[in-house]
Amino acid sequence: MSEHAATLSIEGLRKAFGEKTVLDGLSFQVASGEVVSLLGANGSGKSTSLRCVVGLERPDAGTITVGGVTAKPGEAVPEVAMVFQKIHLVPRRSVLDNVCAGALGRLGLSRSWSVLAFPREVQAEAMACLDRVGLADRAREKAGRLSGGQQQRVAVARALCQRAKVLLADEPVSALDPAASEQVMNLLRSLADDDGLAVAAVLHQPDLARRFSDRILGLAGGRLVFDSSAEVTDEAVADLYRPALEAAASMASTGTATKEFA
Amino acid sequence: MSGLTTAPRPRLDIPPRFRPSGVAAAALITVALVLVHWYAAVQTNTSPKELLEGWRGLWSFLFGVDRTYPNGKTIHQDGAFPLDLRWAETIRPGLEYCLLTIWIGLLGTTLSIPVALFFAVISSRTTNRFVPLWFLGRGVMSVLRAVPETVYALMFIAAVGFGAFPGVIALAIHNVAVMGKLWSEAMDEVDQGPVEALRVAGASPTQSAAHAVLPAVMPSLLGLLLYRFDTNVRSSVILGTVGAGGIGFFIKTEVDSFHFDTMMTYVCMVIVLIIVIDLFSAWLRRKVGTV
Repeated sequence: MSEHAATLSIEGLRKAFGEKTVLDGLSFQVASGEVVSLLGANGSGKSTSLRCVVGLERPDAGTITVGGVTAKPGEAVPEVAMVFQKIHLVPRRSVLDNVCAGALGRLGLSRSWSVLAFPREVQAEAMACLDRVGLADRAREKAGRLSGGQQQRVAVARALCQRAKVLLADEPVSALDPAASEQVMNLLRSLADDDGLAVAAVLHQPDLARRFSDRILGLAGGRLVFDSSAEVTDEAVADLYRPALEAAASMASTGTATKEFA
Repeated sequence: MSGLTTAPRPRLDIPPRFRPSGVAAAALITVALVLVHWYAAVQTNTSPKELLEGWRGLWSFLFGVDRTYPNGKTIHQDGAFPLDLRWAETIRPGLEYCLLTIWIGLLGTTLSIPVALFFAVISSRTTNRFVPLWFLGRGVMSVLRAVPETVYALMFIAAVGFGAFPGVIALAIHNVAVMGKLWSEAMDEVDQGPVEALRVAGASPTQSAAHAVLPAVMPSLLGLLLYRFDTNVRSSVILGTVGAGGIGFFIKTEVDSFHFDTMMTYVCMVIVLIIVIDLFSAWLRRKVGTV
């Protein structure tokens, strides 16, 4: 599907935390209708790159374009939504109120100072988004009462209520059991196929990445080391994790901790 | 790797627990503390001798004394015990004064809620990242907190005269600063995840305060509110002694007119009142915590 125009385009992204360079000129594109997986060891810059796109981190250099428009560094982009490993719903609020919160960016304070002020059309739209993820019947339950997989689908519904064109997922299934993981990944796949979203997901499971994505990006040391269709060799994946595994192995054998682990 | 091994582990030096420089510093700090306390004792006439001489006065205060005047008459001055247990003259009005003390504490707490919430929101890093406003909020609360409730009460009594109302205002102002600080600290410790998620969705700081921070901290805020109610009822007893109504005011007037037995009855009622309020607030806080 790479013949589509890139909906999300990242060009020469750089980011350092103090002395440590996390992103070292990272570039990649995600097209509408495409699922792209990001693989790499801890500290390879996967999450940081996504956080730069949505404005949670301010990149030191590089440009981010969404639908042809350059994003302002450090600011949220209305067309880009994100789901997180720890899901980050408000557990005491109802499922429906959590989904409505996705619309906050386009609501003035007079229509959003409290959940009681949410307009009916926003609540109706949130119900439609909940229906899309198959949880419309749980709308009035407290979000904290749902299972992990259901909560992650509510988070996806919140992203849909934001009317996002690009959905970033930061380890969306790392905290979920295999069945729930499968469900969430199927949902992400279907959002790309049927709704034309551009989906970029950080994953730690190479087999999930192979089965559900159109392309796999391998990251190491804040750079792209491969960008290929879902048929990635085992060796290429193993290479991504090799330095970390070797460091762990040497720690286990000598009993000395190394600071260069990450 | 094998699970069990009989090979001896290498012997390593145990790092020393105390370093010489640390021991010297501890000795210096000890000497300095002893000197400061000795000086404070001299300045305040605190000594075993004073305590022994005060004992006689304390005894006559508690159990009464016969005073012989120069004209030869001897008058018995009543002490604090036995208690004054007359119902109509002492206990019934005492209960009314206790209730007034509770009302002062209640209103002083409740009236401060809106302003305390405003200051808490602008003084927490989670809800306000505009640094000048953050400093302003913290600064105003520090200044308000630096003045004790009693001093506020004296000022308002000077302005509007004796009564419960200046006590309510004094408590409310002080409580804005204390509860605002406690609330803002509770908000600082909230899980940043939902806040970040709403920021990605384009929410303004005010919106994420309303939809991510407040729902998460509401039980803590309620718990702190109950704790402050508890504390404010205690404070309102003290405010009474400077003229701001309630049981404290009558403890003060009975002492001034040498009715130590009536005073001690009121003191016992205060003890019961404080324990009851304390138990009630602790019970309610447990209830809130499990919601």
